Amino acid sequence: MARKPRRAPPEKPANTKQSIKNIFSLLTGYKLKLSLTVICGIISTAFSVISPLLIGFATTTIFDGINSGNMNIDYIINLLIAIVILYIISAVFSYLQSYILLDITNDISYNLRKDLVEKVTHLSMSDLDTNTRGDILSRITNDVDSLQTGIIQTFNQLLTGVITVIGVTVMMLSINLWLTLTTIVLVPIALLIITYITKYSQDYYLKQLRHRGNLNGQIEESFTGHEIIRAFNQEAKSMRAFEEENENWYEQEWKSKFFSSLSSPFIRFISNLQYVIISVLGAVLVLQSAISVGDILAFIQYSKNFTTPIEQITRIMNMVQTAMAASERIFEFFEIKVEENPSKEQINAINEDISFENVSFGYSEDELVIKELTFKVKKGEKIAIVGETGAGKTTIVKLLMRFYDLNSGEIKIDGVNINNYDKHSVRSLVGMVLQDTWLFNDTIYNNIRYGKLDATEEEVINASIEVHADHFIRQIPEGYESELNEDADNISHGQKQLLTIARTILSNKQILVLDEATSSVDTRTEKIIQEAMDKLMKDRTSFIIAHRLSTVRNADKIIVIEDGHIIEQGSHEELLEQKGYYYNTLNTQNEGNII
Amino acid sequence: MNFTKTLKTIGKLLSPLKKNIIPIFLIVAFLIIDVYCNLTLPEYTADIVDVGIPNTDFNYIISVGTMMMAMVLIGILATIGLSYFSSKVSSAYGRDLRKISYDKILKFSNFELNKISRASLITRNTNDVYQIQIFLGLFFTTMLFSPILGIGSILKAMELGTDLLWIIAVTFIAAIIPFILIFIRTIPYFKVMQELTDKINQISREILLGIPVIKAFVRQEYEEERFRETNEDFKSVNLNVFRILLVLMPGMTLLLNLMIVLILYFGAYDAIQGKILTGTIIAFIQYATQIVMAFLMIGGFLVMIPRILVSGRRVAEVINTEITISDGPIDEIDDNTTLEFKNVVYSYPRSEKETLKDINFKLEKGKTTAIIGGTGSGKSTILNLIPRLQDVTGGEILVNDHNIKDYKLTTLRERISYAPQKAILFEGTVRSNMLIGKEDASDDEIRKALNMAEVDFIESLDDGVSQGASNYSGGQKQRLQLARSILAERDFYLFDDCFSALDMNTEAKVKENLKSLNENSSMLIVSQRISTIMDADEIIVLDEGEIIDKGTHDYLNEKCTIYREIVSSQIDRSKDLLYDNEESSNYILDTSYIKKTTGGK
Repeated sequence: MARKPRRAPPEKPANTKQSIKNIFSLLTGYKLKLSLTVICGIISTAFSVISPLLIGFATTTIFDGINSGNMNIDYIINLLIAIVILYIISAVFSYLQSYILLDITNDISYNLRKDLVEKVTHLSMSDLDTNTRGDILSRITNDVDSLQTGIIQTFNQLLTGVITVIGVTVMMLSINLWLTLTTIVLVPIALLIITYITKYSQDYYLKQLRHRGNLNGQIEESFTGHEIIRAFNQEAKSMRAFEEENENWYEQEWKSKFFSSLSSPFIRFISNLQYVIISVLGAVLVLQSAISVGDILAFIQYSKNFTTPIEQITRIMNMVQTAMAASERIFEFFEIKVEENPSKEQINAINEDISFENVSFGYSEDELVIKELTFKVKKGEKIAIVGETGAGKTTIVKLLMRFYDLNSGEIKIDGVNINNYDKHSVRSLVGMVLQDTWLFNDTIYNNIRYGKLDATEEEVINASIEVHADHFIRQIPEGYESELNEDADNISHGQKQLLTIARTILSNKQILVLDEATSSVDTRTEKIIQEAMDKLMKDRTSFIIAHRLSTVRNADKIIVIEDGHIIEQGSHEELLEQKGYYYNTLNTQNEGNII
Repeated sequence: MNFTKTLKTIGKLLSPLKKNIIPIFLIVAFLIIDVYCNLTLPEYTADIVDVGIPNTDFNYIISVGTMMMAMVLIGILATIGLSYFSSKVSSAYGRDLRKISYDKILKFSNFELNKISRASLITRNTNDVYQIQIFLGLFFTTMLFSPILGIGSILKAMELGTDLLWIIAVTFIAAIIPFILIFIRTIPYFKVMQELTDKINQISREILLGIPVIKAFVRQEYEEERFRETNEDFKSVNLNVFRILLVLMPGMTLLLNLMIVLILYFGAYDAIQGKILTGTIIAFIQYATQIVMAFLMIGGFLVMIPRILVSGRRVAEVINTEITISDGPIDEIDDNTTLEFKNVVYSYPRSEKETLKDINFKLEKGKTTAIIGGTGSGKSTILNLIPRLQDVTGGEILVNDHNIKDYKLTTLRERISYAPQKAILFEGTVRSNMLIGKEDASDDEIRKALNMAEVDFIESLDDGVSQGASNYSGGQKQRLQLARSILAERDFYLFDDCFSALDMNTEAKVKENLKSLNENSSMLIVSQRISTIMDADEIIVLDEGEIIDKGTHDYLNEKCTIYREIVSSQIDRSKDLLYDNEESSNYILDTSYIKKTTGGK
């Protein structure tokens, strides 16, 4: 398995405004709930912000009591009861806030995942080709996750953070202007330092990310090629290459870690500095009777409430950026148009023939794979398509399936251009067995039934008996109820092929498309598959990408493709008589290789 | 889980830290200084409130303030030092642990490689080590900090001489019980959540890969429904878990604040009796908050430990794996080498079935031996046994009459060249890949080998090879690796179905070219194609791990039924081919011939 080295997902959105707009568009359906979260947040913060002031009052009362020798204990108790009530209310609303938010974001993620998958199933083949599968997959999983985390963090931390900062500022101002100013003035300085450090560490971060990718790639490659390394005594060399990359990463990694870890001590430094200022300046102010002793305690608590959210905000800004980048990738994917299917006209059967008329097609604009292809297949005929790899054989059948749109020319069923029909109804006419066997994680039974969802058990079993699959299925411990695991490697490739044939037999389609290659299957299984395919083709109009002489010879018509053109067509006998390419191929091969 | 075993594992995992013992010592020292500086601050505040203010002593307040500033400055310097060393130590640890595990994995044989899959080994050597490394960094900076801060705060709180310490204990107990309850309640969910995440991944992947089939069967809705079920499960489990977890934050904040209220309440009574001063109460509140916070933090880290233990165990499993294949004493092999399989048996671990049974044959100089058989007949296994990529489980393989286990691995492997069916090339250039075959090969030698392997598609030796050689087709890859394997002169050339992606014509040319190699060495070719092996000196017919028969093509074609079956399934007599004969059913039509032989040139 040769995967590309993991590419780091983009950390920053390309268009901040647009991604904020996108995120808001996701939230519009939840206006009521969102306002509730915001209200809960405000209530919770407001109540928790008042408390330190009251604690300050209580402390002052104690201080005065000690000095005057007359403690007003009832007042203190009343204050404390008020504080407890405030804190309880605050806690309840704080929980409500995150509870509702969880509801919203979880719902958003659910819908995004759902929509993304629906998008995938409705994309056109050409759009699927241009996006790598891994990339789409990471949008469905990672990007949706980062977006959810981002939204939660933004609302929970950013929202409460901002409210807290405002509330605390107000409360501090109500106590003393000068003490407030000296406390707050440190904050912009702190922010400046942090931004500087972050920028500086970002460089190292990116560098170490690149080296990490290199190292991971190196490791992946040498474990994949393990036999070669051993068989050619390359261990020492491989170790050297590894150590070089390993050292490179280390050099950048520790620096990146060091610089990025500096911001939190700096925040603590600032907060300690505030603490000292409050203690000293506060005491001076107490001496001048500008504030009371309890205010010092209140201030100490406030200053903590002030720096903590700022620290959190700087920390989550990264997360928010990742979330915006994620939303960008998600929305970008949503913007791809789904496969068009304008016609509702149904086609239910083929009565006469299928014809390709001057069909030209290319996956990219400038390179035609199929050139001016013209041929006709009558109902019930078998047509074998023969040609080199890359000649365009598979493309022909993909065009019949309407996976791609033609550049020019027409494909007609019974004289009607297939573009005039509903795409799904055209596809419903065709059964397909491809070289890449696709089965999914479920029971064997359900995989066969995939061909006809309302099939009875008997039908399913009959289909597998017909393709000689019943025997091996029953040999597996749980028979038809056996789960096919990831990549279905608990059964062999040939057996998988048989299951896909059974599935197609069950679906009972009028037209068949078969890709015959069986290169990785041993001779015996090959024979069984061949028989199964023969059964499948009986009485059906079949397109076979043929590799075997028997198929070719038994076909009603053979078309030989070279470089997107038909160079010869006709029956086996006709082609032999023509003494052209087909004849020569068979002839030379006999002289060259056989006894 | 065995406790001492776990400890041993942890000890082994931490062994790379040994050489960094001095920086670690410094880290702890810096931490203590940092914590100490932080802890003195409330005390100084208490002094200001209790001494400075009542005495209206301005100078005292300023001098205490100066001391506080000094403490703050020392604190930040200590923290910077701490960050410096902890970043260095944890990164170096990751580097060293990765190296140990990489070194170990390089020594793995196929047996160990199959026990832990390659994909898993890659993740272990990259991601798992990285997780541990990150954890260690966190441990030094934050995790170690919490207990030191907690203990320091307790000491300081006790120093204040109040009778309020019990409030801290009560708060602590009140915090720990819901914490544990929540923990116990959510743990099983986390496992389910992980499984569902995997399932979402898997279904999405399936859908992506199966789009052509889904479209062909018009099963879009079916797939969406299949995804919906998992998606919904995921959503509801997520809700359940986080609704519980979300209680933690507000709950703990509330508890902390209640503690402050309690301290003030009882503090007030103490104050009436003259047992305590206001500043002391303020300081006590600071310490108490720090103590509870510190222990909550420790709790938070404890939650991380099971997860990190998983990574730890996975890496430890790699490091602790016993290498089954190791060097023997002999480090020289005479020329005129022969190789003999004597009653060789091979079975996979935990498998009752024998993959190879009683295999006997001999490779000699100048001789070409071929093995033919269906998939799963054990052909590749035979080849893997020769360079000891895996070892026989019964019988022996002899090189010059010595068991191959008695040779040094490098000595043995120097005599062997090997080309697997799935061509493996490494990122770099054509030249760098060729040099793997022979380290000191000259460009001329390389070109000669490339010509022999019919590599006619490269422009220069500096042509790039991307990862997985994805810029070359299957047949091109096979030819490149063939060139690599014939670059050096070896005694034994092992070709494991490595012509399978070549067309007949190219294969024929390559085989012709290879004949010159054969004079001084022996060749062992494995294939499913008759045409590949037909002209071998000896053909071994393998079926389900047993040698059915061996001999030349003519001999086998006459005597061996299975061989004849294979032949008839692959080769048509020339006459049958042209003049219709039902027997000729499975001929593989190779259309690349069309171009080459007729219109081509």
